Amino acid sequence: MDIEKYRTMYLHEAAEHLQKMTELLVAVEADPEESAGLAALFREAHSIKGMAATMGYEATARLAHHLEDGLALCRDRGCIDSEMIDHLLAGVDLLEGLLEDIRAQRPEREVESFVAHGAAPAPPVEVSSDELELVAAEAAEGNPASGLQLRLRLAETVAAPGPRWLVLLQRIGLLGEILQLQPSEEEILQGSSSRQLLVRLQTALSQDEIREQLKSYRELVAIDFPIELPAKGNKKVVPRNTVRVSTDLLDHFINLTGELITNRYQLQSAAAEKNWGDLDEGLGQLARLVKNLHHQVLQVRMMPLESVTNRLPRAVRDLCRSSGKQVSFEVEGGAIELDRAILEELADPLTHMIRNAIDHGIESCGKVQVKAWREQDQVLIQVTDNGRGIDPDMVRQRALQRNLISPAQAETIREYDLLQLICQPGFSTAQQVTTTSGRGVGMDVVKTAVERLGGVLLIDSAAGEGTRITMKLPLSMAIIRVLLIDCDQILMALPITRVLQTLEITQEEIQTSGKQLVISHQGELLPLLSLRRILKRTKGPARNPLPLVITELLGRRVGLVVDRLVGQREVFVQTLPAPFDRLRGNSGGTILGDGQIVFVLDLQSLLEKRRG
Amino acid sequence: MSKRVLIVDDALFMRSLLRDIFETAGWEVVAEAENGLQAIEAYNSHQPDLVTMDIVMPEMGGIDALKKIVASHPQAKVVMCSALGQESMVMEAIRAGACDFIVKPFRDQQVLDIVERTFS
Repeated sequence: MDIEKYRTMYLHEAAEHLQKMTELLVAVEADPEESAGLAALFREAHSIKGMAATMGYEATARLAHHLEDGLALCRDRGCIDSEMIDHLLAGVDLLEGLLEDIRAQRPEREVESFVAHGAAPAPPVEVSSDELELVAAEAAEGNPASGLQLRLRLAETVAAPGPRWLVLLQRIGLLGEILQLQPSEEEILQGSSSRQLLVRLQTALSQDEIREQLKSYRELVAIDFPIELPAKGNKKVVPRNTVRVSTDLLDHFINLTGELITNRYQLQSAAAEKNWGDLDEGLGQLARLVKNLHHQVLQVRMMPLESVTNRLPRAVRDLCRSSGKQVSFEVEGGAIELDRAILEELADPLTHMIRNAIDHGIESCGKVQVKAWREQDQVLIQVTDNGRGIDPDMVRQRALQRNLISPAQAETIREYDLLQLICQPGFSTAQQVTTTSGRGVGMDVVKTAVERLGGVLLIDSAAGEGTRITMKLPLSMAIIRVLLIDCDQILMALPITRVLQTLEITQEEIQTSGKQLVISHQGELLPLLSLRRILKRTKGPARNPLPLVITELLGRRVGLVVDRLVGQREVFVQTLPAPFDRLRGNSGGTILGDGQIVFVLDLQSLLEKRRG
Repeated sequence: MSKRVLIVDDALFMRSLLRDIFETAGWEVVAEAENGLQAIEAYNSHQPDLVTMDIVMPEMGGIDALKKIVASHPQAKVVMCSALGQESMVMEAIRAGACDFIVKPFRDQQVLDIVERTFS
């Protein structure tokens, strides 16, 4: 069997089982009398064991078996305690490590010490054979009158001798009457694991005929039939990534395809008859169908937010246990769906925010909430806590110390903008802030991750009332809405999620601040950056008014001067093939309806390079 | 005509593995079921020549499903799929009418040997 082909499937399914186990363990801890949860946990562990054993992942199977034993014990007792939950969670973590080993195709890590020192009792995998010494065959030779003496021996590889004997006895029963058995059927049922069976059989068949009848039972080695298995022909199988798609969705595809075929004939006949009215109507229908198809295809890539937030209760539990705080945690909108590529990138930032909220926001007891909802093409995910909040004076002080703002700015900066500064790289490090402000741990990392996904991060807080962090994310990374802009007659695209506003300004509105050109926008001075200059193009002709894109770069709002704002478009973004993917400043390319190739600008990375 | 099999297991992984083994050997997989209830339903609508039945499953386990199937179709051929350490359950299944069993982990040929001989 080409087991390699199943590795991907194994990794996927085992990860799901582990995730489920974690969820169940946290749920069972909250309600230890819940026996259905324990039974479900047992099944999860059991499934992992079965799959791992089949794949030959012995350490995984061994560990899963160990957890299964612990769970069986709890299930039989009908309750579970925190120590056991700790142990089982640690076991799940270890299983996740093993999964990593398998994914990386290295040998599985060691589990024996865990199994040996665990709180869970660990009976051996196979009951050691208190093998029954067979009494020497009494009746010396097989006598047709008193039945034929048959001596069978099972191969050492047979995993379950007891059940195997039962199956064989059913078969032997068809060959004649069983007069005597050693070990007896009773002993077999009670778990005798003897590999030899002595049968006295009243039968009309000859020895050869009986051998012939039992020939297909290859596990019998005592009647001298080779157990060697014929080698299977080697089939080449190309491994592929699999996606689970609901059958409903597939039905939608089939329906849509049907409608598209009908539409095609409509269009063909309208064109043949030069019937412009019908053609127009047909095209309208085509637009609707393609939009629908686009929507459905996106669905295939979509996964619920739950697939990420499901891990959070575990993190909250661990943090509560280690910090001694009491935190209630809830997720709202877990069913909201996002592109799987985005979800994968969200797991760490979310955990980070939750950790911040519990470590530094919540004082001794409180509430942390994750809430998600959809607004048009965007998904908003909000992490809220009711802890002490962020002290704006502290942020101002630190920002001054770190030269993130000038003393003059410190006077005038709006509180909201002040809060956003905690996401600046180098704003703070954990030790310095935890005791005083309680926030800022790795927020720059979070912000970077969100922006890489084409999203925006916003922070709200009121001292004493808690903190609210909002991520605005695109639904999908593959098909996004962009703003097309023209710069030196090159068409480029900016993800719409990165655009705060577009406007036109007159030359008169431009002011200078030192060497920097700025404009006053909504009571704030925004530096002006020329896209031509960033891209090292020649200086363009003077324009009045000047098209401007307000965007956020390196944590600051700026006005980006472009030649022309062309319009918004929904585009399918493709990653560039190597070696072009190494070029800084673009995050992909797309082909417009007229065949023109447009690159999606990643200004952040362009400027980082410039600065570096 | 190729023989028809119903595969019952709650793990997609196991079902796929078995499906592959059977299809490579020229069997027709008429249906897959994820639990005992689905198994009974699938058995009634497809009347397969053979069933491979996992033991531990949600909703309804393999032994209960086996008993129900055998009660209404005494000629049913059901091969149990068990894991290590389930000897007593397997024995219960055999006494309840299962004709044979496979122990996970298994190899293609072991599975085929076992299912083929239920027809001999």
